Amino acid sequence: MVAFCCLAQAKQLAIVADPSNPATNFSAAELVKIFSAHTRTWPDGKPVTVVVRDPSSADIQMVLHKLLNMTADQLQEIIQAHKGSIVVADSDEAVIRFVSGTHGAIGVIDLYSLTKDVKVVKIDGKLPVEQGYILRGN
Amino acid sequence: MIRRTPTLVSVSMMALLLTPVVSIAQQSNAPTAVLPLTTRSAKVRSLMDQVWNLALDQVEQAKAIVVLRQAVNIDPNFAMGHQLLAQTSLDPAEQVREQRKAFATRTHATPAEQLVIEWFQDSADHKLIPAITAMNTVLSQYPQDKWVVFLSNLWLTQQTQYERATVVFEHSGLDSPGLLNNTAYTYAFLRQFDKAFALMDKYVAAMPTDANPQDSYAEILRMAGHFDQAIQRYRAALATDPEFYSSQFGIADTYSLMGDQNRARKEYAIGFHKFPLPELHRIQWQTREAITFIREGNFSAADHAFQAIANHAHSKQMSQVEADTYRQMAMYQRHPKQALAFLAKAEAAMDQGKNTMPAALQQELAQILRARVEADLNLGNKRLAGSALRQLERMSQGSDDKLIDTAYHGAAGAVRFSEHKYADAVSHLEEDPNNPLSLRLLAVAYQRIGDNANAQRTNETLANLNDPSLEQALVVPAFRTCNQDPNCSSGLKNASLKQ
Repeated sequence: MVAFCCLAQAKQLAIVADPSNPATNFSAAELVKIFSAHTRTWPDGKPVTVVVRDPSSADIQMVLHKLLNMTADQLQEIIQAHKGSIVVADSDEAVIRFVSGTHGAIGVIDLYSLTKDVKVVKIDGKLPVEQGYILRGN
Repeated sequence: MIRRTPTLVSVSMMALLLTPVVSIAQQSNAPTAVLPLTTRSAKVRSLMDQVWNLALDQVEQAKAIVVLRQAVNIDPNFAMGHQLLAQTSLDPAEQVREQRKAFATRTHATPAEQLVIEWFQDSADHKLIPAITAMNTVLSQYPQDKWVVFLSNLWLTQQTQYERATVVFEHSGLDSPGLLNNTAYTYAFLRQFDKAFALMDKYVAAMPTDANPQDSYAEILRMAGHFDQAIQRYRAALATDPEFYSSQFGIADTYSLMGDQNRARKEYAIGFHKFPLPELHRIQWQTREAITFIREGNFSAADHAFQAIANHAHSKQMSQVEADTYRQMAMYQRHPKQALAFLAKAEAAMDQGKNTMPAALQQELAQILRARVEADLNLGNKRLAGSALRQLERMSQGSDDKLIDTAYHGAAGAVRFSEHKYADAVSHLEEDPNNPLSLRLLAVAYQRIGDNANAQRTNETLANLNDPSLEQALVVPAFRTCNQDPNCSSGLKNASLKQ
């Protein structure tokens, strides 16, 4: 007997930025432009660097489906076309390490990997724990 | 079995490595650092070794609680003792009381211990993001400390973050029997049974003369659908320790899942006759026994059995148990008006509110409201369903309680589904992924929006669910029958969406 059961976990992904980034909120549309490399600089002129897990990973599948509305192959093409401004990391910890050490970096991680070295930014005014947050799902 | 939490509500931890990312941690703590347990008493330090063995390795939670109470009595300023008691206690009032004491006495502890206490305090205060950050900071400093790994594993499992929980265990390199047991269950929750069985083999080998490894192995075998092997393991547990009553009831539960309800009831009867049971455990297995009647379609016998449980709970002034029993009766009624009558009885019991913590009452109320939404939908009364849903939404927005949140999303998903708003339904139902009632709708909703891969995955999950719960009994056997029958058309499947 177990206290709770048992099939699947609802995931919550967090958009994280380096703590010096003054932004606290992005619209979903702004994030689409950032993650598809249409937005290349922040308002203060610093270059935007996006860091993501492999496009085939489950977490990025959720980003593709719920936010970017594109396929893994399409994201892979964008990554290939914008090497240097979009970086692929092999773990959430690597994403956090890169974002915390790179001015202008922004990434996406599993909320439960979050550390104090990065800051969570809202999407459409909502934090990951709030109802209606876009990057939640099974 | 694994440690339990004191609730009767019937809802029922990868390959990546955690690299310490906090620079302070890298400078000040080697990976083998041990979290200090600050106490002025040598006796208390000795007792904490006992607590570990009892709570984790032997899964003797009641005995571990007694020793923890002894430890905090000897040293009332033992902040981590209070914290561990808060996390181990089976008494909701004691959990709340000890969490407050842990927070009040934290200044007697080291900064790392204080961070652990703040993590759980933030969690109790529904401040999830600070709680996660605190947990990961402690983990980066003490990735191989047994208490930190245990607490992380426990908390992440409570948060249904099974993948992350397995990462914490794998990175720790620890092989404590208790952690092997807990992580095997976590892999089973992820349906990664090969990994679960490998850990169970290690657990059994580490404790060959204990019953619990066999009992846990049995339960995981049952989750995987290996019923005969599960019963063999349960019998091995009883042969090792004839007083290990959960294995007797595990046999009964397994026969029920196999479809042999007569044999299941005989095994329950043996258990009730043979073992003096704690009140809540007796009610839990009496409820399972009542479910056997539902599995064989004998609803009047089910009514009789559930009503006896409700009457007993009423006589013992156990309001939440009484309410939950009436709620379950409502769930299997074939006539929505009858279901609503039982939900009214559940609400009347809730109004009594005797011997129940406020949080448990709120959780139960959410479950009742969810059942009310579904009954109203079955009755075709969308206005009342909407009213109950709005009340549930307000509760969810005001509480951040996982049980209440999932109840809301399950109900909202059912309403959106009934309105043929399938994409909206999916976004809600995905938030309630452990309830067969929601999974059944989710699979169809995926199909309706053209997401056939997720529809297939959800169908497979549902078909392979072997949990002795009422929800499983209501949904899974009929779903399997339809799934295996080529003549069971999508139309029939749609018809089966109504209870």
